[in-house]
Amino acid sequence: MTVKPMPSPNSREILCQPQNMMCLHFSQRGYLNRRVANLYFLMISILSCTPVSPVSPITNVLPLSLVLLVSLIKEAWEDWKRFQNDMAINNTPVDVLLDQKWISVPWKKLQVGDIIRVKQDGFFPADLLFLASPNPDGVCYTETANLDGETNLKIRKALEKTWDYLTPERVSEFKGEVQCEQPNNSLYTFTGNLIIQNQTLPLSPNQILLRGCSLRNTEFIVGAVIFTGHETKVMMNAMKIPSKRSTLEKKLDKLILTLFCVLFCMCLLGAVGSGIFINRKYYYLQFSKNSDAQSNPDNRFAVAALTMFTLITLYSPIIPISLYVSVEMIKFIQSTQFINNDLHMYHFESNTPALARTSNLNEELGQVEYIFSDKTGTLTRNLMEFFKCSIGGEIYGTGISEIEIGTAQRNGMKVEVQKSSDATHEKGFNFDDARLMRGAWRNEPNPDLCKEFFRCLAICHTVLPEGEDSPEKIRYQAASPDEAALVTAAKNFGFFFFKRTPTTIYVHESHVERMGKVEDVPYEILNVLEFNSTRKRQSVVCRYSNGRLVLYCKGADTVIYERLADRDNELKRTSREHLEEFGAAGLRTLCLAYRDLSSEVYESWNEKYIQAKSSLRDREKKLDEVAELIEKELVLIGCTAIEDKLQEGVPTCIETLSKAGIKIWVLTGDKMETAINIAYACKLINNSMKQFIISSETDAVREVEDRGDQVELARFMKENVKNELKRCYEEALQYLRTGSETKLALVIDGKCLMYALDPSLRVMLLNLSLNCNAVVCCRVSPLQKAQVTSLVKKGAKRITLSIGDGANDVSMIQAAHVGVGISGQEGMQAVMASDFAIAQFRFLTDLLLVHGRWSYLRICKVVTYFFYKNLMFTLTQFWFTFHTGFSGQRFYDDWFQSLYNVIFTALPVIVLGIFEKDVSASLSKKYPELYKEGIRNTFFKWRVIAIWAFFAIYQSLVFYHFVTASSITGMNKAGKMFGLWDVSTMAFTCVVVTVNLRLLMMSNTITRWHHVTVGGSILAWFIFVFIYSGIVLPKDQENIYFVIYVLMSTIYFYLTLLLVPIAALFCDFIYQGAQRWFFPYDYQIVQEIHRHEPDASKVGLLEIGNQLTPDEARRYAIMQLPGEKSKHTGFAFDSPGYESFFASQAGVFVPQKAWDVARRASMKSRPKTSRKN
Amino acid sequence: MKAPIYIYYQLDNYYQNHRRYVKSRSDKQLRYGLQYNDTSSCIPEESNDGLPIVPCGLISWSLFNDTYSFFRGTDELRINRKNIAWKSDRDHKFGKHVFPFNFQNGTLIGGAMLDPNVPLSDQEDLIVWMRTAALPSFRKLYGKIEEDLEANDVISIYFLNNYNTYSFGGRKKLVLSTASWLGGRNNFLGMAYIAIGSCLIVLALVFILLHVKNPRPYGDAMYVSWNWKGIPN
Repeated sequence: MTVKPMPSPNSREILCQPQNMMCLHFSQRGYLNRRVANLYFLMISILSCTPVSPVSPITNVLPLSLVLLVSLIKEAWEDWKRFQNDMAINNTPVDVLLDQKWISVPWKKLQVGDIIRVKQDGFFPADLLFLASPNPDGVCYTETANLDGETNLKIRKALEKTWDYLTPERVSEFKGEVQCEQPNNSLYTFTGNLIIQNQTLPLSPNQILLRGCSLRNTEFIVGAVIFTGHETKVMMNAMKIPSKRSTLEKKLDKLILTLFCVLFCMCLLGAVGSGIFINRKYYYLQFSKNSDAQSNPDNRFAVAALTMFTLITLYSPIIPISLYVSVEMIKFIQSTQFINNDLHMYHFESNTPALARTSNLNEELGQVEYIFSDKTGTLTRNLMEFFKCSIGGEIYGTGISEIEIGTAQRNGMKVEVQKSSDATHEKGFNFDDARLMRGAWRNEPNPDLCKEFFRCLAICHTVLPEGEDSPEKIRYQAASPDEAALVTAAKNFGFFFFKRTPTTIYVHESHVERMGKVEDVPYEILNVLEFNSTRKRQSVVCRYSNGRLVLYCKGADTVIYERLADRDNELKRTSREHLEEFGAAGLRTLCLAYRDLSSEVYESWNEKYIQAKSSLRDREKKLDEVAELIEKELVLIGCTAIEDKLQEGVPTCIETLSKAGIKIWVLTGDKMETAINIAYACKLINNSMKQFIISSETDAVREVEDRGDQVELARFMKENVKNELKRCYEEALQYLRTGSETKLALVIDGKCLMYALDPSLRVMLLNLSLNCNAVVCCRVSPLQKAQVTSLVKKGAKRITLSIGDGANDVSMIQAAHVGVGISGQEGMQAVMASDFAIAQFRFLTDLLLVHGRWSYLRICKVVTYFFYKNLMFTLTQFWFTFHTGFSGQRFYDDWFQSLYNVIFTALPVIVLGIFEKDVSASLSKKYPELYKEGIRNTFFKWRVIAIWAFFAIYQSLVFYHFVTASSITGMNKAGKMFGLWDVSTMAFTCVVVTVNLRLLMMSNTITRWHHVTVGGSILAWFIFVFIYSGIVLPKDQENIYFVIYVLMSTIYFYLTLLLVPIAALFCDFIYQGAQRWFFPYDYQIVQEIHRHEPDASKVGLLEIGNQLTPDEARRYAIMQLPGEKSKHTGFAFDSPGYESFFASQAGVFVPQKAWDVARRASMKSRPKTSRKN
Repeated sequence: MKAPIYIYYQLDNYYQNHRRYVKSRSDKQLRYGLQYNDTSSCIPEESNDGLPIVPCGLISWSLFNDTYSFFRGTDELRINRKNIAWKSDRDHKFGKHVFPFNFQNGTLIGGAMLDPNVPLSDQEDLIVWMRTAALPSFRKLYGKIEEDLEANDVISIYFLNNYNTYSFGGRKKLVLSTASWLGGRNNFLGMAYIAIGSCLIVLALVFILLHVKNPRPYGDAMYVSWNWKGIPN
């Protein structure tokens, strides 16, 4: 068979280009700074090969190549792992049809058009067109966990025409042609045609089996390969996400830039000096016209210019070459060894450890000031339980939700939770009301409506039953836990849905006509109008066995109310009240409605539906439009209320975090009452707080809304929001001015937020919200979530963290400085977009207060230490320059200078970056306030850097002057004198010893690794210098030959080595003592309080990665792929436009997907010029 | 003064550590002589009449050539000019079979001549001179007097002022010094030890005083910033 892409005005080449460019762009952005740094060192290396250089090329080339080597090894190692991964995947065998037989070949041999067989539990090696399976009706079940993390089974159905291509003999007769869309990354769409026996059949995602999914509950399937390798949808999704850089690193760039300026100034000074110095009077230097330009006294300008270059080369170590690679290494170890293996962040129930998907942002975790949290699945468990309902204006369900209990307790009431003994409680069902159970509903005022209610629950869904079809043992596979809860509820009410075929749903109905009567009723499913985020509703058209045609619909209240028939206003009103009541109890609500259809109406509609369904372009859009035609004049049945329980430990976690100075904003799609109540329940808001509520649900707004004039409404809303903001802000200022302890909270809903985010009001919103301790935004779209996040990120320049679990949080996660995904629940989209993944909200405490704080502390220390040691080293050179007639003569030997950074001082600082901790993990959590030091950026302020710079200058002066001043006289009993190299070796020895000791002075924790590396570094220097001064090198100048032996033969050496480091560290010592005495940091006090307690809280680390099954390993591998989010959404409120939001935010790049390009192109009229490739 | 008394000449404002000067030598040639004829590093004093100058380079070219003689009364004091360079230099850096056969044959003569019949390893003046100094003001060992000098001895010194330091305003000094096991007399190290030591003692006293007079309670939770409530003093 043949597969060809559909004729499209855009050639494939064009489609691919934007993506390639994007990848390039990302890598450029991510590595730009390292590249600039490397470029600088390359330039210096080239410069050092020229005669202007005072040092031999080895000085600069060696460290550069060592640093490059380390990065290369790291990358090679990663590549090797990837290669192994690829090999494992590519060599998996699969059955391919060859000469009427199934032949096993490795995956990598597959070609487009091959026909293959995949057995049960096997993975699909490519994107396949599903032809046939032995199941009746040509269906098969797939698990898409690898793609989106959803563990429920998806049903796929082959076209009827191809059902019988099962045996090899039969399949080999298959001749067909597939026209399909260009390869793209949209997992949930597919447009194409199958041309078989001169018939053109439309293809939908229903016939497509995607690579990465696996086959379940089906013996085998036969399929044709459509896309292979990088063209498969899962691979198109595996695109690099933009790498974020931490704020600290950006500040580090500024520091480096400052160092460049310092370097320039130093060189300029030296260059001017050399221009002035040069003079024929120093006859012994033989300056003359005939010598090279740098010693030609007639052209002082050239001398200065060339000396400039000389000095740049000489002072180049001021820029710490190994800084970037060291920091990268430290962060890598931090994330892989500490964060990923922390037992405190390991969730036993779901077997999920924390996962740092990037190691770039570790220290950013220590500076977070604002947390933006999703509600469902993040603060709550996302374990939905059917809790209450309202049918025909009557509330059923006597339970009291956790939030109601919380509310009651706030008001000082005691709540006794009593359950009737016969209340059923199973997963997804926690309903207690005898009036509806066991058929008792027939005695209720409105039994018919009850029946419709239950049938709607049992029929209108996309749930798959799994396992045995007895009520106890059946398991429901649902796209969202809400759906499963609703179907479970129907089961408990006596409408047991137990079997689904593609056309029929079977419901085991009991107590319908009379008590105890049980019958299996089939409902023919004619159409399923699926849920999506724009529609926010789902409908099913079904035919009863008696021929009755009904459309059942369920969805968000706003959407359903718009589409209700204009009658029963009393019911609508009471139901709305009930909805609000449920909302106040923190419950999630859905409205149920139905519509009886006459067969004429249905037939005429169905024609349009089929037309829309088989259209190749804009199929989804057209389907939505057609659905609108029939989803109207609905009759309201009632509404359901589902409880979503708070996650374990959320209130304590939030309390701890707010003590740590972190402000938590809840951004949710839920109703205002629900959101406020959740906020209360998790102690975000309490009664002592002053609440500002900006809501669009006011009478005034409703009045204008009813008039129906959109323009006027917008104007009114804007004015309203503006006034409200102003009022709240003034009030907030008053509270602040009076200095009262009252904390403030702001609650705002999505509609108002839309106006408040307007550029003119944005500043006021920001000012108001920054003064509030808690902010709750309800009914917000993903776009708004991202807007709010970037409002704070860009407007207030504070560090933000977003945490969420669903696809609707992706935009927010990517907009924040740090994105955290909740792993293990709803899907993988949030995790795929995140920087860190944790299983439970409460693990944020450990992630931020322990790991984040430590990482911040460590990186700060590492960076300042690097800064100090390189500046100090270079300054000794600088002082020497003044005594050499500004000639740029080096003070130290080439090799000393080149190995200073990469050997003599390299390892201790890495050990510092890995093991440094001020207080133990448990104390970090006991004193959350310590975290504020990170928010204030206490350890990486310009002031801190200035202090380090001061000590660097002081120490360099000590080294240079002590050593030179003490070495002007005879040095031993024989009165012999030292030369330049003896003096400089002496100074260098002091430098190495001091710099390493200084590291011990700044460490709060000293492990044996510190001793080993510090001792080892000093030892390495001596070993090196012993060998180096003992051998003859093939060079013209052997400056260091025998120097160390001469030095060490004098007493002077030992006296100086004792004195100079003490003198150099003297100031640091005074500073540290005085600082601790007079201006102690918080952590120092905490250290003192707990000084007698041994650090018992060893961070529990777990071992993972060794005993993974191949299946787990594969999932783990896919989880670690950098990926882009998919478009699929569960029941969350989603907005399709949020991707383009990022386009505008990022400014430079527009993440256009091939799919979007294709779609946009197809929407336009055909372009005049079409390119062929 | 007890013997041995070391005689140093000191030059000020003389840039032996200038980059052009320091690199103008060839250690290989100093050791192997003409076997090693790449003297490019010795610019601008690398060769003469096509033959490499031995020893080449600015350093040796500008060899110091003042000479001193010491008299106590009328007796000339014997100055031992042997063993004034480091042994390692004599043994390992300057060849025993390298003779300065064409030294200072050029048009410009910078400093002292060398006896072409003495190998470089025995030309100790040169060896001392070529261990370039770290600072522009430096001393070099000239020789030693191996007799004790008593108080009130009048020493007269005759010296040949050959070496030109007038052009660049340099100064010459002559230093007589004895040496202990620590080397020559050097106040700096001792002063520094005393200064740093006394600083440390003062510091210790200050901290003890602080501890007694105005103690900061160790590990007092009141000092933690979140307990301050704006009353830090």
